Amino acid sequence: MLINFTLNHKSVTIDAPPDITLLTLLRDYLGLTGTKEGCAIGECGACAVMLDGRLVNSCLTLAPQVSGRELVTIEGISQPDGRPNDLQENFIEYGAVQCGYCIPGMVLAGEALLKRNPNPTRQQIRRAISGNLCRCTGYQQIVDAIEATAKDRTAHAKS
Amino acid sequence: MNVIGKSVKRVDALAKVTGQALYPGDRNYGNELWLKILFAGRPHARIVRIDTSRAESLSGVVGVLTAKDVPVNQHGLQVPDQPVLCGPGSNKRGGDIVRFVGDQVAIVIAETEKIAAKARDLIRVEYEDLPVVYTLDYAISHKAPQLHPNVPKNIAAYQRIRKGDADEAMERCNVVIEGVYHTPFQEHAYLQPEAGTAYMDDEGRITVHCAGQWTWEDQQQIAEALDLPTDKVRVIYDAIGGAFGGREDISIQIALALAVLRMYQQHGNRRPMKIIWNREESILGHCKRHPMTINAKWGVKSDGTLMAAIIEIFADAGAYMFTSNKVLGNAVVTCTGPYDFPDVKIDGYAVYTNNLVSGAFRGFGAPQAQFVAEMQMNKLAEKLGKDPVELRLKNVVTEDKTLAVGTTIPGGVSMEQVIREAAWRSNWRSRLGPRGENDPDFPEELPRLVNGRGFAAGFKNIGFSFGYQEESWAEVELRGQTEIEEVVLRIAGADVGQGHHTVMSQIAAEVLGIEVEKVKLEASDTATTQSSGSASASRLTLMAGNAVKEAAEFALRKWRRNDRPATAEATWLAPKTTPFDPQTGYCVPNFVYGYVAESVELTVDTETGLITVNRVVCADDVGRAVNPDQIVGQIEGAIAQAHGYAVLENFLMYKGRVLTPSLSTYLIPGVYDVPKRIDPIIVENPTPHGPFGARGMGEMPFIPYTPALAAAVFDAIGIWFDEFPLTPERILRGLGKVRSRLV
Repeated sequence: MLINFTLNHKSVTIDAPPDITLLTLLRDYLGLTGTKEGCAIGECGACAVMLDGRLVNSCLTLAPQVSGRELVTIEGISQPDGRPNDLQENFIEYGAVQCGYCIPGMVLAGEALLKRNPNPTRQQIRRAISGNLCRCTGYQQIVDAIEATAKDRTAHAKS
Repeated sequence: MNVIGKSVKRVDALAKVTGQALYPGDRNYGNELWLKILFAGRPHARIVRIDTSRAESLSGVVGVLTAKDVPVNQHGLQVPDQPVLCGPGSNKRGGDIVRFVGDQVAIVIAETEKIAAKARDLIRVEYEDLPVVYTLDYAISHKAPQLHPNVPKNIAAYQRIRKGDADEAMERCNVVIEGVYHTPFQEHAYLQPEAGTAYMDDEGRITVHCAGQWTWEDQQQIAEALDLPTDKVRVIYDAIGGAFGGREDISIQIALALAVLRMYQQHGNRRPMKIIWNREESILGHCKRHPMTINAKWGVKSDGTLMAAIIEIFADAGAYMFTSNKVLGNAVVTCTGPYDFPDVKIDGYAVYTNNLVSGAFRGFGAPQAQFVAEMQMNKLAEKLGKDPVELRLKNVVTEDKTLAVGTTIPGGVSMEQVIREAAWRSNWRSRLGPRGENDPDFPEELPRLVNGRGFAAGFKNIGFSFGYQEESWAEVELRGQTEIEEVVLRIAGADVGQGHHTVMSQIAAEVLGIEVEKVKLEASDTATTQSSGSASASRLTLMAGNAVKEAAEFALRKWRRNDRPATAEATWLAPKTTPFDPQTGYCVPNFVYGYVAESVELTVDTETGLITVNRVVCADDVGRAVNPDQIVGQIEGAIAQAHGYAVLENFLMYKGRVLTPSLSTYLIPGVYDVPKRIDPIIVENPTPHGPFGARGMGEMPFIPYTPALAAAVFDAIGIWFDEFPLTPERILRGLGKVRSRLV
């Protein structure tokens, strides 16, 4: 079936079977391998993407469910010239990246939070990434990176 | 120092945050064939017959490989005791026997992953089930079947120490502390399940892209199983999504290479092969941390001086050796803790069973052994009414004292300094004397929330050693004319997430006096790099770091002699070590160690059994902090993983079958589970053996966490738990609030 949606700020139409997951659509039909599979059954959050501004696990979303909606993956977070955005920069700056496999999902979880709540507390940040597992860090540096970005963006918005 | 000691940004971070980093499952070729592996799914059986005809006739299936297709049907890191594929027609004896549920039986090659999976389910295998050996007691009894030829009583490895006369010394001791301890399985649960691609390259080499911990060793094992010269096999590591020891052994590497070889030989087919394991396949398909049963008896003078230790270790090796013999060696050396005992008797056994294979996992035997040592120490403190930190300081190993193996510790000993640091930074003080049942004044009913704190220390060798000659190779090429414009650094070491490539770039940059950004890495490809040894045993910073430092120094000398480009390679050889004497255990097992101490503060909810850790202070002697931010990341990450081990991660097997094959039945810590606050204290006591004094450190913070937490639980509720994880159920059982039978 033909699926029309907005992918990373651009309109796309793709012919794909109706019974595949959004994760399969992204990785195997669109070649966007930045979205990772860690469990395929909604346990780990490595495949998280932003659908209409909300965080969803793409392994639990059927591909046709994105029809007419706005989808952002890790490939759509960077600046238009491919450089990392401020949140991605802060993940690097605060040492939040080790093996990196959970990071695309973590970045999306951070962006989805900051969209709804530009001034989150650390507790709210924890809640926002509570569906995303990381086996390398102890999460603190990830929380730090999101918190710093919120502060930078708020300061920037005021000035 | 310009670069060493600076938290420079990771060299691979940009690719990882933007989603551009290619992990093994991310490589697409457009024309690849997909593999699915049929696992045995039963713990012990003889395969009588395999019928692949229905699978092969399914449209889209290109081939099905079984034991008869494997040129040399055996492999293994330490001992080649595992068939590549189990089944009839194997050219190695016993190749038709399945010894655990994750044994591989057949490889399906098909146009899509879906077709491959469907065909896998059409393979008919006729099994003749054999008695399942799933407990240690049964495995070493005369009744159990022998799982491997020439291994009586299933004892895969045995090591012993006899120092002085421990039995006689024990009789003279006024105080005896005794316990039987059980430690659980632990699953690595790296976020990236095993995956890889493979093809025949232009030079006719079978090239395997995957994620592992030692390219050279993967190459050797593939070449041996395929009966090919080593240079006909090339192994390249893509971005590696975590490892922690679980990628040290073969998973999908030989299957991929075998598929390339046979499809080319049988059909002239040169299409690339691809495989991605799902989470369940990953959990069944790689090793676990060894469960151990440890009996410990310590004899002590009434002033708290340790006199004698008698210890028996039984480690469940599972179906195959993997690294069990080496893990056992570490457990034997570290089971007396970082303490001085004049008389010691230790017997350690690694035992084959039909359980999942046990192997390497952060700490490599030290976490199990030192759980016991530190529990004993904390129980002793209770019994004597002494402060557990003071008692440790009284008995701590120093440079002039010998370990149980009869030799002093080389490489600089900082255990005392690290213990003091952790105690001081955590404002350590403790309630003295008995709690719980030994305390007549202990309350019958505890309040709902009770606080406690606990302390533990730990040490671990860096490297495998025990007579094994460690080495590490590196090459540095300096490009430019009047000044060094670019540096090509060739290293083999795997960046499993720990930041190895960044640290090596820093060491090269420091020697050469340039910015890290000028260093260009060519890493982890057997065609262009030799062996740096394994990314394990906390060894790479020290060993590969020495090789990089030497290569950079040589290259710089050539540069000054006007060589353009100036290229130099170096192979660093570690100081000599010796294996256990078979009778006494006497040896120089290692050439350097790392030291760590931790305090844990927590709250136990006596209604729900939940443990909340409020603060952890971890002091870790890293020798020299090459990249402090990365060290903090290692300390916090190790503690999070240890927290899972201590309280959450309840890996269950029943009669050789896995009951927890997913991340919703096997729970690893999420952001709400980890300790609320971790204070990492970096201690820098340089070792003469390390580059710029650096020791290894990746495993150490894991080691004391569980016993420190168990001591804090005792402090809170007055109960010693000699078994973990301390799940709510186990805590409530201890409190007498749950009485139903354990499953």
